[in-house]
Amino acid sequence: MDFFTNAVLAVMTAGPLAAMLGSTLLGVLIGALPGLNPVMAIALLLPLTYSMDPLVALAMVAGIYNGSMYGGAIPAILLRIPGTPASIATTFDGFPMADRGEASKALKIACWSSAIGGIASALALMTIGPVLARVTLFFGPAEYFWIAMFGMASVGVMVGSDPVKGVMAAALGLLIGTMGIDSLSGQARFTFGQTWLLGGLDLIVVLVGLYALPPVLQLAEKCDLKGLSASELKLAGVPFAPGEIRRLVPTWLRSSLVGIAVGILPGAGGNIAAFLSYNAAKNASDDPDSFGKGNPQGVAAAECGNNADNAASMIPALTLGIPGNVVAALVLSALMIHGLQPGPQLFHQNPVLVGGFMIEMLLTSVLIFLVGGAAATRVFAQIQRLPGVLLVPAILVLMCVGVYVINGRPVDLWVMLAAGTAGYFLEKLNVPLAPIILGMILGPMAEQSVRRALLLSRGDPLELLTRPISATLAIATLGMILWPLVKAFRRRRG
Amino acid sequence: MKITKIIVATAMLAGVAMPALADYPERPIELTIPAGAGGGTDTSARKLALLLEEKLGTSIAVLNVGGGGGSVGASQFMQVRPDGYSLFATWNSPLTTVPQVQDVAYGLDSFTPIASTSETAYTLCVHPDFPAATGEEFLAELAANPDKYTYGNDGIGGTMQLAAERIFQARGIKAIAIPFGGAGETLQNFLGKHVDIYGGSISPVLPYVEAKEAKCLLVTSAAAVPALPQAAGLESLGLGDKETLLWRAILGPKGLDQAIVDKLADVIEEAVNDPSYVEFLASKGEVPNVVKGSDLGARLQAEFDALAIVSRNLGLGK
Repeated sequence: MDFFTNAVLAVMTAGPLAAMLGSTLLGVLIGALPGLNPVMAIALLLPLTYSMDPLVALAMVAGIYNGSMYGGAIPAILLRIPGTPASIATTFDGFPMADRGEASKALKIACWSSAIGGIASALALMTIGPVLARVTLFFGPAEYFWIAMFGMASVGVMVGSDPVKGVMAAALGLLIGTMGIDSLSGQARFTFGQTWLLGGLDLIVVLVGLYALPPVLQLAEKCDLKGLSASELKLAGVPFAPGEIRRLVPTWLRSSLVGIAVGILPGAGGNIAAFLSYNAAKNASDDPDSFGKGNPQGVAAAECGNNADNAASMIPALTLGIPGNVVAALVLSALMIHGLQPGPQLFHQNPVLVGGFMIEMLLTSVLIFLVGGAAATRVFAQIQRLPGVLLVPAILVLMCVGVYVINGRPVDLWVMLAAGTAGYFLEKLNVPLAPIILGMILGPMAEQSVRRALLLSRGDPLELLTRPISATLAIATLGMILWPLVKAFRRRRG
Repeated sequence: MKITKIIVATAMLAGVAMPALADYPERPIELTIPAGAGGGTDTSARKLALLLEEKLGTSIAVLNVGGGGGSVGASQFMQVRPDGYSLFATWNSPLTTVPQVQDVAYGLDSFTPIASTSETAYTLCVHPDFPAATGEEFLAELAANPDKYTYGNDGIGGTMQLAAERIFQARGIKAIAIPFGGAGETLQNFLGKHVDIYGGSISPVLPYVEAKEAKCLLVTSAAAVPALPQAAGLESLGLGDKETLLWRAILGPKGLDQAIVDKLADVIEEAVNDPSYVEFLASKGEVPNVVKGSDLGARLQAEFDALAIVSRNLGLGK
């Protein structure tokens, strides 16, 4: 217990507290602006903190990371533009709610869900982190292959009214995912001799184009010159109806568990956590057809899931010295610059710093209630009052800036434009866009894992099924595909 | 038209180069790192950039361009103007290893070597129950059991794999290479016992050596490494000429003014030997190693030639 008392005392000083408040606000802003993402912001900011007190530096990481996961929900709900890759699933029900005039309700649910997911995740990091970290070691290439397949099976939930088009979109995403240097053979694939394609298409660049341009073009089509008036905005307090919180509790619990599970496995991420949480909520619901049409449970599941991924993703980094994502890698590099050696001894080397960072992950999640509820939601929701003639060019400029700073090369802007134009027409043809992004993320993961697994088994495919964890995951994948069919069948008979 | 261009270019060169010697640097420098943020190369370069900023009296903006094992960043960098305001902080692999397997647009002559900064060996580690206790026994066990053992490495045709294969080829060893996305991923699969041998940089595995979860028996440097007393250096195994290291350097684009190169090389040497940087390197298992200017070019060429032979023997060559 001393471990946390000392850490709490160290965090409860002016520097870290101010850094947490400021960076959570900054994180919400970064998340809310399409193109800007937490990874980039932390990569830019962290080196500036090398000379500072490390607890202040880590407070900024915690604030930006947690804040941005909630911030991504704001444009997702208001404009159908996910602010970060992790908030794609939030658009499914968040935007229909806003369209119905329930924007502030949706934002409130997103805020609560983000905070709760973040708190649950931080508590997991603080209590059972080291145990969970050891569990991740059982996951080898074969297991990762099945995790990717499990994620892919959840596409079934997102394909909407026309499964064939959904599968086509997923296949397109898989194809895009094959571009660039193949990390197992070192050969360049589908690069057409272009050097800039060697790294493949950047996920964020495609995401911004695909997801931000179509809504912007639709806004432009409306030729809206006036915007909403203050009274139409309906920002006044929207208290939860009696029993509403109780109905959200199971979703929060489920999504927190899913988010933590995805978080501890290196390589997945907030977007997968949000998709799987959304999927789980839909599968558990009595009325799955209401999802995608403005069901508050959908917003709660997605936002709780992506925040629950955050602190959990630090578990392998802090306990084993294995960074599971770029943010974790940046945190480790910051610790190394301050003279710490990542690995199992980190907790003993500097308990105040490690414990302090955990407390900061917890406190910044709590801050989301404050920052999100009191300030951010009210301020950001005002953008709905802007007329389209102002909003459209403003978003376009932000998109271009955000995309350009990722790699500092103009060609990314063309990729964004191409992806956006494609997205605009695909939407007109009723082709869902989420499977494209999911294919881009999970395709390379599935391909590399299965090839590594086959190298390890000397080419024997049976080994993909005979290991206990991979067998369980394979069955779960099958269940994931069959469950909606079974449910539909039963309803038809009943 | 053409003549005007030449005149303008000459005038610009004269106009830029002459005062540049005295006043360089007079505006911020952009430092391209051909790897994502948070990795070993990135951390080393950023820490060094802080010291260089102080000594040069200008700010340094870092640009991470990851992908393609470093070739994406290198290709993008070779197109910059050689005015001394664009520099490239890389590890050796994108220059000496990646061109062996990938069809890249650049060669060693696309850059002006300025100075190397630090180096470290790769290590090969096994689980505690592996039937070998020394480097010699380790190689003998591998040689006696062709294709039985798997070793994780940093990626196909990466420097780590070539470093291991150079040793394996010399001893007639056949082991199965499993390429991972980096040392962290290799370590995870090694700790989970999905691969038999960890192959990668020293610092991630170091805590597990202390915790007796890993037994490091070989390093790819000629001399042994103090942090890993059980690991044999290649010299002691009679393989001293098969040394392959992970090292880092700062380069400029082709055609960089010699005066700027000299000035930068001296400042880099000073920064690398700053006690705070030496201490930082030690925590990552690296040591300072400054080779400047044309000597650095010779080092790059020698490594390139040696690795070309290894990759051809592996059937990896283009």
